Amino acid sequence: MKKKDKVLFVIPAYNEAENIEKVIKELKKDAAFADILVINDCSKDNTEEIVRKNNVNCINNIFNMRYAMAVQTGIKYAYENDYDYIIQFDADGQHIAKEAIKLLDTIKKTDSDIVIGSRYLKDMGYPCPFMRRFGTKIFEIIIKLICHQRIADSLSGFQCLNKDVIEYYSKMGNYPEYPDANLVIEMLRAGYKITEVPVKMRLRENGESMHGGIIKPAQYMINMFYTIFFIIIQTPIKKVGSKK
Amino acid sequence: MKKVYFIIIAVFAFIYVIYEVRQRKFSIKESFWWFIASVVMLFLAIFPYSIDWIAKKFNVSYGPSLLFVFCIIFLIFINFRNSKKIAEQQEKIIELSQQVAILKEKNRR
Repeated sequence: MKKKDKVLFVIPAYNEAENIEKVIKELKKDAAFADILVINDCSKDNTEEIVRKNNVNCINNIFNMRYAMAVQTGIKYAYENDYDYIIQFDADGQHIAKEAIKLLDTIKKTDSDIVIGSRYLKDMGYPCPFMRRFGTKIFEIIIKLICHQRIADSLSGFQCLNKDVIEYYSKMGNYPEYPDANLVIEMLRAGYKITEVPVKMRLRENGESMHGGIIKPAQYMINMFYTIFFIIIQTPIKKVGSKK
Repeated sequence: MKKVYFIIIAVFAFIYVIYEVRQRKFSIKESFWWFIASVVMLFLAIFPYSIDWIAKKFNVSYGPSLLFVFCIIFLIFINFRNSKKIAEQQEKIIELSQQVAILKEKNRR
């Protein structure tokens, strides 16, 4: 008999006291097949207290290491504890628990290494600000030019990773500060199979987005272009599926 | 002939930065300002008179002195940034050491 797959929801959280309880309750109701891990990224509010009250595992980062490093902490935990799949899930209530099942089904059916929950593959009624949509479109074109594959929403943090990717990311030095289009390009060039699946998402209800303002998005774009340039130099191209 | 020497030095600096990042000895993020500096060096080596043109715009009569000012500002900036990072990291190392010490004591009990 085939053993049951171990699945883990990795939820990085920073000052998400207003949203986290709702997210945990939704996951427990609609995706009870998986374990939940919250990585409290040194929040100043009572995020940890709320997570513990709901009987969910919580790792507390000693410093605020920002989103990407918090995610990598969760990935390392999944690797240490021999999980088969992880699903990255936002703590701000944007991601929908029922849609996570779609990601998990797709990764198993298509034998992919990474499945990205996409807002733009089909019109799913996600009201996205123009500049963000424009930025995502630019990265879609860049990925298409470099990797000859369409990834419509490389900025999506709603992803399902298999065991190979869990191992790759957990052992990866210099895990990028923004694991978006740059990481998609790196993984495609390294021979990993990435599939996108259209998902519904909500707009965040409380708190601030990490890409808010004018300076941060500009810094983000420069950082991304620069990183992509070096990833092209650093990562030799392999055929899809030839990662090992 | 002098121009050729400068171009060789600039190309060497440019390739060296890329080589170090490619070998993953230098992180992509930390290489950014050195990469920009090597591109500026290369540009000035190929178009040396561009510094005179920029100097005119700043009302500086002797071009190379402006170049020195820019270099000094750049080096001060890098130095300040490094000092800031060292201070941050020192704080983090102390915090980590204290946490490890507390955990060790907890495990001993």
